[in-house]
Amino acid sequence: MEVLQYSLRRLASGIPLLLGVTFISFLLMVYFGPDQTYQLLGKNPTAEQIAEIRAQLGYDQPFLVRYADYLREVATLDFGNSNSTGELVTDLLGRTIPVSLMLILPGFVLGNLLALLLALLAAHYRSRWPDKGIMAFSVTGMSISYLIVIIAFQVIFSSSSGLGWFPVRGWNVHSFAEYLEYVTVPTLATVFVALGYNTRFYRSVIVEELNRDHVRTARAFGVPPAKLLYRNVLKNCLIPIITRVVFTIPLIVISGALLVETYFGIPGVGKVTFDAITTGDQPVLKAVVGLTAVLFVLAQLLTDILYRAVDPRVSLS
Amino acid sequence: MSGEPILSVRDLVVEFRTEHGTVRAVDRVSFDVFPNETVGLVGESGCGKTVTGLAILGLIPNPPGRIASGSIRLAGRELVGLPEGELRKLRGREMAMIFQEPMTALNPVFTIGSQMIDILRRYKGLSRGQARAAAIELLAKVGIPAPAQRIDEYPHQLSGGMRQRVVIAMALSCDPKLIVADEPTTALDVTTQAQVLEQIVRLQQEFRMAMILVTHDLGVVAETCQRALVMYCGRVAEKADIAPLFAHPRHPYTAGLLQSLPRVGQQAHQDLPVIPGMVPDLLDLPAGCRFAERCARRDARCDRELPELDGEADSPSRVACFHPL
Amino acid sequence: MTETTTRRQSLWSKAAWKLRRDRFGMLGLAVVAAYFLAAVGVWLGLWATGWGDVAGGKWEAPSAAHWFGTNLIGQDIFQRSIYSISTAFEIGLVVAVLSTLLGAVLGAVAGFFSGRATDELVVWLMGVLDSIPFYLLVAAIAFALEGNPWSMHVAMISTFWITTARLVRGEVIKLKGLEFVEAAHAIGVPEYTIIFRHILPNTFHILLVQSTITFVAAIKSEVILSFLGLGVKDGMSWGLMISESTFEVLAGFFNNFLAASVLMFGLVMAFSIFSDALQDALDPRQVS
Ligand SMILES: Nc1ncnc2c1ncn2[C@@H]1O[C@H](COP(=O)(O)OP(=O)(O)OP(=O)(O)O)[C@@H](O)[C@H]1O
Ligand SMILES: [Mg+2]
Repeated sequence: MEVLQYSLRRLASGIPLLLGVTFISFLLMVYFGPDQTYQLLGKNPTAEQIAEIRAQLGYDQPFLVRYADYLREVATLDFGNSNSTGELVTDLLGRTIPVSLMLILPGFVLGNLLALLLALLAAHYRSRWPDKGIMAFSVTGMSISYLIVIIAFQVIFSSSSGLGWFPVRGWNVHSFAEYLEYVTVPTLATVFVALGYNTRFYRSVIVEELNRDHVRTARAFGVPPAKLLYRNVLKNCLIPIITRVVFTIPLIVISGALLVETYFGIPGVGKVTFDAITTGDQPVLKAVVGLTAVLFVLAQLLTDILYRAVDPRVSLS
Repeated sequence: MSGEPILSVRDLVVEFRTEHGTVRAVDRVSFDVFPNETVGLVGESGCGKTVTGLAILGLIPNPPGRIASGSIRLAGRELVGLPEGELRKLRGREMAMIFQEPMTALNPVFTIGSQMIDILRRYKGLSRGQARAAAIELLAKVGIPAPAQRIDEYPHQLSGGMRQRVVIAMALSCDPKLIVADEPTTALDVTTQAQVLEQIVRLQQEFRMAMILVTHDLGVVAETCQRALVMYCGRVAEKADIAPLFAHPRHPYTAGLLQSLPRVGQQAHQDLPVIPGMVPDLLDLPAGCRFAERCARRDARCDRELPELDGEADSPSRVACFHPL
Repeated sequence: MTETTTRRQSLWSKAAWKLRRDRFGMLGLAVVAAYFLAAVGVWLGLWATGWGDVAGGKWEAPSAAHWFGTNLIGQDIFQRSIYSISTAFEIGLVVAVLSTLLGAVLGAVAGFFSGRATDELVVWLMGVLDSIPFYLLVAAIAFALEGNPWSMHVAMISTFWITTARLVRGEVIKLKGLEFVEAAHAIGVPEYTIIFRHILPNTFHILLVQSTITFVAAIKSEVILSFLGLGVKDGMSWGLMISESTFEVLAGFFNNFLAASVLMFGLVMAFSIFSDALQDALDPRQVS
């Protein structure tokens, strides 16, 4: 009951964020975005034809009316049809979001778990050579561009001049075996890049916690070092870890896969969004941005509830 | 003060590597603690009291610190050089430490019960239920009201005094031979201080443990200790039984500390004499006596030579001064 | 005031001393300096002037004339990759300086007026911009500015200032409670003078570290944005070279890709190491 009440209050307080995100995105992508009038018209259009198309696209309405319309669309989840394909936007997203999730989730999970493991190791051996080795690896990983990693891994694992084990591009998935074929290389690239950043972040969080007094108390009462890490310290570190993980979710749902999808030609929501931006496909853009904002508000709520679950000092108020 | 000492520290040297050079936080400190007695460790802030206590438990953070030389024997067993795994098994069971900062000494995300039960189960092989019962009993012993409810609370729900009592209960839980109590009451308010201190003394007697009581309050030492060690700048300035120490301090520093102690009958707000001057920087120590700069009895020799403790190693009263009082 | 000034000075001299003793950090700095010299040479027209000329055949192997070989249309890859160093510095410097400035000003104002409407507005804006996926925002800005060559810079600045502003805001909230600020208040120093003359200089260590981090982030983002067609419009950059190479590598020709990636990796790595060393040196509460 308390949680429900709190959730409602929290959701209500997410409204300014929702308004802000939708407003700025609307302004940039829709109001100042590409004008589609002439793409949708034949050669030598008449003035009436132009006016008709503009009315159809809503260009003739004042800004606020268009924005209000947009908010109504977000609220009812009714965004109409895509300008470029004519497909219902909700269908389009329903088709592409699962692809993106399937594509990015293994890398996301592995990238965080492995990083946490490495970070624990590094923190355990801090200032000694395993730590130095892990951190050198981490800085190196962070210094290589995601794009370069993608290209290199594609060459190494998929191309004919490399190992040639996996398909070079595309997403032709009908079975689990095919899924593995297509998802492996993007996942490896994602994990490689994520490891650098995540390990460093997790290590600093863990080391900071290790320097606290209660860790010294635990050591003074003979808690074994491994147990100290996974039982005593890890739970204390969960707040920054949860924050990082949960707030990445809305981003990976929408844009985290953008680069991989574009590069490997995978029909996920990232690629759809990118195409919508370049062509000015407003219904799609509106849906994607509205969705992101909603996801962020939900992520905020989720983190608050999780915080309370892991840290007794946090109260929902 | 008969028989074998429980703890025997000889020529202990603890060093820290800092950006500006190596700091010798504890310099050739020697002392014994016998069963059932309380030894006071006094001195101004930064003189190495906590570091001495941490060294005994093998808790000097490394890096930057290390025990550079010396010997620490607990019940005849050498602790310096003992592998971390062996040492760890002694912590909490053979020797325990109560820390200076009760507010942060407990893990905030676990209940006090789970933190206590953890120790009891590890060392006493109790079942969860037995350990819980034992923990409640211990909490009652250290004077926590309604322990059966309190045990499921988190540290932030307890006051500082309560938290310190929980740490004391944890320290007692495995009947250690030795407890290092590092200024257990400094962070508490005055009334709580007295209560907690009294509790510690009572429990020390009840459990028949040896205790090192670290403090910078000579009044506390007078009330609770049988012997005391006065430290200055990482070295022992003087050690003696309580009665002679208070009646006839031999080191000028001890005398100075005693003079700055409020006495019965003295006006509360009357200015107490303080020792003039400042403690030298550990990175930039004088060649001679470290107290020389603040000392009224200083002469040329004090600036040249570092005084060592006089007398035999096991004589009850020793002082490191060329011109003792 | 003098007290905080000396505190600041000792922080800086200590930091400089620590930095000089950090071997990796100094090595990083030396490498960055070498890159910078290469960039200066390009700006002065000393070398890499022929980056756009067709000087040889398609995909020539490395030779004395073309150290890294030639690309698809016969342009010299070595010259192109060296020229790209200057592009990287242009982007990195412009973005780092401007987003640090923006972050400093907004963060300081928000922090100083914390709890009031100004602060809430800035905090809200930061939350909002953080909630728009980076590439979407960049793409949106790029298209809103319709092919303006600076659209990429604007896009980066509009997101990169946020972290700086958060840090500065936090620090300013801490600083404004200090005595010297209250003293300045008491003798009637105007609020904006207090913010910009008295408080902001005390956050300079944060700004310095943040600007190095932003510099690296900008160079890395350029590569991806250029690949997506949202980056460098005219001129040459590592990002353009790498996107040029995406089909070359599948045909087994790696020179373009390797030249750009290796040079970029060197600069980013060196700069990151230097940035870390700087952070270590300036961090008063050392977590190691
Ligand atoms: N982790 C450390 N790194 C470097 N130097 C240290 C460290 N811990 C302690 N020291 C040095 O050891 C000296 C003694 O410190 P210690 O904590 O033992 O003082 P103390 O007598 O307990 O003082 P207080 O009454 O303030 O608790 C300090 O002056 C400090 O220079
Ligand atoms: Mg201490």
